Amino acid sequence: MAAAIETKQLTKSYKARQAGTINVVDHLDLHVEEGEIFGFLGPNGAGKTTTIKMLLGIIYPTSGEGYVLGKEIGDMDVHRLISYLPERPYYYEHMTGLELLKFYGSLFGITDKEKFVQLLEKVNLHRDMTKPISNYSKGMQQRVGLAQSLLNDPKLLFLDEPTGGLDPIAHREIRDLILSFRDEGRTVFISSHELSEVELICDRVAIINRGVIAAQGKLTELLKGGRIEITAEDVPASLLSDFNIVDANIRTLPSGLLLDMPEENDPNSVIDAIRAHKGRVISVVPRRKRLEDLFVETVSTPGVKS
Amino acid sequence: MRPILSIAATTVGEAIRRRVLLVILLIGVLFIVVAPGLGILSARSETTVLRAFMLGVIQGVSMIIAVILTVYMIPNEIERRTIYTILSKPVQRWQFLVGKYLGAVLSLLLMMSMMSAVMGVMFFLQQQSKNPGEIADLLKGPAMYFIQMCLLAAVGIFFSTFLPPLVNFFLSIGVFLVGTFFNPLFQTLQENKNTAPMVKLIAQGVNTFLPNFANYNVQNPIINPTQQIQNEGRYFLGVTVYGVVYISILLIIGILIFDRREV
Amino acid sequence: MKQKTSPKLLIALILGFIVQGALQRAVIFDLWTKNYNPGKGKLLSNAMSPDQILAVLGGFREITAGILWVKADSFFDQGNYDAILPLIRLVTMLDPNEIDVYATGMWHIGYNFTDEEQRSDRRYIPSALALGKEGTLHNPDTYELFFEEGWMWYHKIDDDYDNAVKWFLKAQERPDMLPARKNLLGMAYQRTGEINKSIDTYYRLYDQSLKQFANEAAFSNHQNRDTLEGNLDNMLVRAVQRGYVAEKDGRPLNGYDVYPPFDVGFSVKATVVEPRVIRFEGTWNVLPVGTRIRAVLRDKDFPGAHGAELEWDARDSVNLDPPKDQTFMQEQLFVKNRRFNKKVDMSKDPTMYPFTKDKYVLEFYYNPRSAPPHIQDKFGWSGQGMTDKNFINTDVRKNQRVVYATLELTKDQILRYGEWVDKTPIAKTANYHESNSDSGSNDDVILKVPSLRSGVGGK
Repeated sequence: MAAAIETKQLTKSYKARQAGTINVVDHLDLHVEEGEIFGFLGPNGAGKTTTIKMLLGIIYPTSGEGYVLGKEIGDMDVHRLISYLPERPYYYEHMTGLELLKFYGSLFGITDKEKFVQLLEKVNLHRDMTKPISNYSKGMQQRVGLAQSLLNDPKLLFLDEPTGGLDPIAHREIRDLILSFRDEGRTVFISSHELSEVELICDRVAIINRGVIAAQGKLTELLKGGRIEITAEDVPASLLSDFNIVDANIRTLPSGLLLDMPEENDPNSVIDAIRAHKGRVISVVPRRKRLEDLFVETVSTPGVKS
Repeated sequence: MRPILSIAATTVGEAIRRRVLLVILLIGVLFIVVAPGLGILSARSETTVLRAFMLGVIQGVSMIIAVILTVYMIPNEIERRTIYTILSKPVQRWQFLVGKYLGAVLSLLLMMSMMSAVMGVMFFLQQQSKNPGEIADLLKGPAMYFIQMCLLAAVGIFFSTFLPPLVNFFLSIGVFLVGTFFNPLFQTLQENKNTAPMVKLIAQGVNTFLPNFANYNVQNPIINPTQQIQNEGRYFLGVTVYGVVYISILLIIGILIFDRREV
Repeated sequence: MKQKTSPKLLIALILGFIVQGALQRAVIFDLWTKNYNPGKGKLLSNAMSPDQILAVLGGFREITAGILWVKADSFFDQGNYDAILPLIRLVTMLDPNEIDVYATGMWHIGYNFTDEEQRSDRRYIPSALALGKEGTLHNPDTYELFFEEGWMWYHKIDDDYDNAVKWFLKAQERPDMLPARKNLLGMAYQRTGEINKSIDTYYRLYDQSLKQFANEAAFSNHQNRDTLEGNLDNMLVRAVQRGYVAEKDGRPLNGYDVYPPFDVGFSVKATVVEPRVIRFEGTWNVLPVGTRIRAVLRDKDFPGAHGAELEWDARDSVNLDPPKDQTFMQEQLFVKNRRFNKKVDMSKDPTMYPFTKDKYVLEFYYNPRSAPPHIQDKFGWSGQGMTDKNFINTDVRKNQRVVYATLELTKDQILRYGEWVDKTPIAKTANYHESNSDSGSNDDVILKVPSLRSGVGGK
């Protein structure tokens, strides 16, 4: 599959008065496949928006290269095929939803009113399309933003914090819309710091911290390394040590013993052994690795360049 | 062309809804409406003061509108992030800038036409003038002011590509004032035999390169109709071409700066 | 990855700059200067003028000027002339097209600075004329200020009538001049002694008035025609009577009113009766009333002063602060019963008469051109019928016979300092004799008067 986004050593640095040169984005190598939902994660100020702006040609890289849909960044032809939804966008408030789409449509040379209405239907705003945007809720504004981002039937969408500041219901609506984009064969590049959202919808992610990629890959691979906790009563401590499990911990709790072991091990053999010694299994809890853990792990890893 | 026009239309839509501008416009119209009552303040004929006052109000109000309209243009777009959605579409930066400028010009046209129309009506009511030529003569003032304000708007847009609004506000007004009374000063320097040649040269340079707003202050013969005018058509054509050329210059430099600007 | 500058844009930029610069210099600036310059004329070119600073006020100049002028009017009602003058200056700067303010300003400056005895301060006249000149530069298309400037020469300065003619002629070039006002040019020509031009002027205006009346039988046109008719009549009669026609034809003046010349017998004595108070007494053998002899007391070295006047036309810019250390007093001595006797008190106005110099000149001057017609009938327009054994003078005024005498006083004498504390300073002409008129009756005096026509029968 061809790459939708490809960057090589992409760098953006600013000269600060006291700290000398600061690399906001530091030799970034990104690879986004066509047709996937790619999560671009990082804490605030990590360089997410700067990267997106560089990819859109709104700001210019200090060094390195970047390609969007196979063309060098800044190429105006690419702008016909992509779209961008900025973080918490503000639209010309005097316009109605429909007028907003007309305006953005005209920038592409699109004048088809039916198309505008269809898009507004898609984001469930067709009933409110003649109301001025100043009367819209945040969720509605975000949805009209998504509608405008679909005007040119884009192959690649950049969504910057698409669910930021929204209530749970709005979250869900936006999430469903984004998933539908993938079904339509579009590539979606989501920048976010809301991990639970990303975990639910992204195929692959990159975690960026202080301008540097801390981790990149398929979610399933990145989240490998969960553990299983087994709690049991009336079991001699020696029993469990007989198993010789690598990387296992045994702790004594008031209620009994806690065995904590990597998820690759078969819990059944352990449970069988407990039962054989007339012990009682109280709970078996699989502790899957979550994106949050990965995030905390990578972001707090020392030695990251600043 | 289409994106430019869309951006221009949107800019007009926004401008005519901005409360600050509307309030200023309203004050201007109000002043023009009460102007006939001010005739008593003068020892001279009422028409003279009426013309002077109405034209003064139109010029002053238009100047403030032109500046307020343009100084916020680019900074606001960046602050509200509306510029990102636009620039991520197939819109070149120069198209954006030109569209914005065109919007400002159209807004000015709209607002100045309104004030001029009110002036025409008030003048007609006051004078019971049976001579439409008199009112047409009066309207030459606002027509020239319009080009003047287009030039001022270009200055404002130019500065707004790299300056914050407040600085731009004072700078644009400063350029306007310098450009307005540099012509008389320049003439004074030229005719004064005591001026050092170096000073003359510098003045000549400044007068040649700074935007000259004084060119459009044509109110004197309108206010005092006894004055005789020579080559009026040629003059009006000259200053119009001058305005268009200077506006192009400002926009080109603006585009060059804006193209390099990180927004 | 920075944007590259297109060379086309740069070329367009440079071209644009050249085009706008060329337009500004070659086409616009000249026309602007001619048509639209708010500070028209060259008068303000010697300094950064307030006009340019005030240009900031833009279109509100006229209304501001109007408000200030209303304010000036209230000062006028209070008689506070000192406060009016700066306002007038400001108003004319704000609105250089306010003709009335210029005219009123000239009048204020020229006439209304007076001492306690209502003598106006002639040191201001150059500024009054300068204001008028400035006004004409700003308002070249209307006659009014040209006329006002001429009137200042004709009426206030009342001398050097060539200048009045010069400005009246300029006023006549303006098409808006009222017909009745044009008549004054004929009067002015009489006072320059150019009688033929005066008659020509009256004929020309009379023809015009006939046409005007034929066009519109309005009362004013009727009246103007009648006035001109009367003026013309008078002029023709006078030209004959006063020997002008005979003189032109090369005939002897015998038998005309101006021949033989009449000796006016001028003598004067100036007594400093108190510090800064001078009494002028003297003789003038003309019995009919209407003689005004000019007396001037000034610094001996007053710049530009000569022949009983100042260099009135010395200034091109208005200066409301004339030199505080220079003295110039001018008074008229009225003759009654062949004598004049006038006390001039300068003690109450030290700013107008500072007396800072050591030497002073007293000048006495009589010019028949300013005389009333009944005296002019004898003396002629240029003094042909007048003489004086001691003081007839043909130098101080070109082509005129005037009476001119000078005396000198010192500062100590005028201020009664030093040796003059107790001694009364007196300066007099050699021919001055203490009068016996106190003893004689008026009838006696009349009997002694020589005939104005023949010059004989007196003494």
